[in-house]
Amino acid sequence: MKLNKRSVAHYALSDSPADHTGFLRTWGGPGTPPTPSGAGRRYWFVLKGNLLFSFESKESRAPLSLVVLEGCTVELAEAPVPEEFAFAIRFDAPGVRPHLLAADGQVAQEAWVKALSRASFGYMRLVVRELESQLQDARQSLALHRCVFQKSVTGCNKPQAPDRRAPGPENGHLFPRDRNSNGSVEERGSRPVGRDLTEWGLQGPASLLLSRGQSPVSPETSCFSTLHDWYGKEITELRRGWQQRAKGSQPESKQQSRP
Amino acid sequence: MRYNEKELQALSRQPAEMAAELGMRGPKKGSVAKRRLVKLVVNFLFYFRPDEAEPLGALLLERCRVAQEEPGGFSISFVEDLSRKYHFECCSQEQCQEWMEALRRASYEYMRQSLIFYRNEIRKMTGKDPLEQFGISEEARFQLNSLPRDEQTCTGSQLGVLD
Repeated sequence: MKLNKRSVAHYALSDSPADHTGFLRTWGGPGTPPTPSGAGRRYWFVLKGNLLFSFESKESRAPLSLVVLEGCTVELAEAPVPEEFAFAIRFDAPGVRPHLLAADGQVAQEAWVKALSRASFGYMRLVVRELESQLQDARQSLALHRCVFQKSVTGCNKPQAPDRRAPGPENGHLFPRDRNSNGSVEERGSRPVGRDLTEWGLQGPASLLLSRGQSPVSPETSCFSTLHDWYGKEITELRRGWQQRAKGSQPESKQQSRP
Repeated sequence: MRYNEKELQALSRQPAEMAAELGMRGPKKGSVAKRRLVKLVVNFLFYFRPDEAEPLGALLLERCRVAQEEPGGFSISFVEDLSRKYHFECCSQEQCQEWMEALRRASYEYMRQSLIFYRNEIRKMTGKDPLEQFGISEEARFQLNSLPRDEQTCTGSQLGVLD
């Protein structure tokens, strides 16, 4: 079975944060010959997301092995396992051998078991969804207290449809003086409306919600992906504006990849 | 780099976020588009010959770039060599859009960014750290400053260089 190994290795070595690292002893895995003493071989392990990599040493530039931590459970391993502070990664799928690993001490052992147990994509997704709904709750209760401001910032919606409409004359070269003070982002699921730029000049209530330097979130921001997309559209439109000015002609309406 | 194929094969049998038969063309010059059953499971994209049970291959979707190619077609490439593209042909631009959006959100790193974002927003709004209930508030990987330099703004690497 093919795998984009080069990209996987690149990810392993990239500066995206490791979730856990440390020396572990491993033995019995495929391709790991036993040491003369029977003790496990000691490698440098790096946990990134749901991927556990091993390296010959801390400085190695190529991972030795990869374990994908999905559909597995992690438990303390018991005798007659020869190593102290051992634990096992066991897969639910039949025919998949468990990985036996051992830490240098009890604290490390417990930390690894904890980290590996929470490494699955599903766990992360659960936490994110939980936070997403908490944010929505916080936003709703905040919105209730700000219905006065709500009235004055409505109408300032961001288009959310994937197909980009031809920009109106004001789009592309008219931007609010203070970008950060625009407080309104369209609610997820509501109909997209063209940007009403008369609202851009509305500094007062919106600026009370935000201050320069902070993310321009407002109670109306529904979720990260909406905000993410919103930023992307702003940048695309900014760019279109620059191109427009540079070329002095109508912008192309070619299908842009969404950022 | 060693890995256990059986682990990946088992993963490919898990419920998919998205699955469809698409045209697929590898990054090598002169490669021809073939029909493949493409399945998105967690942060892996598996591809199968249409009537086979075991995947032909898998793509880990961390640090990938998803881009519109021709109408109804998109590509996946990776940060270390963006010119090496895996091409996919959909039956409609709508399907293409659906896949692109799903793939952009399919990485663990994207979820980590989302988590950090929500955590900070909730903290700002309520004064409370929502991760405390999970007992993971102190973990280094969830701190704002743990984001790599190129991802510390909301724009991040997903927006990256616009084609």
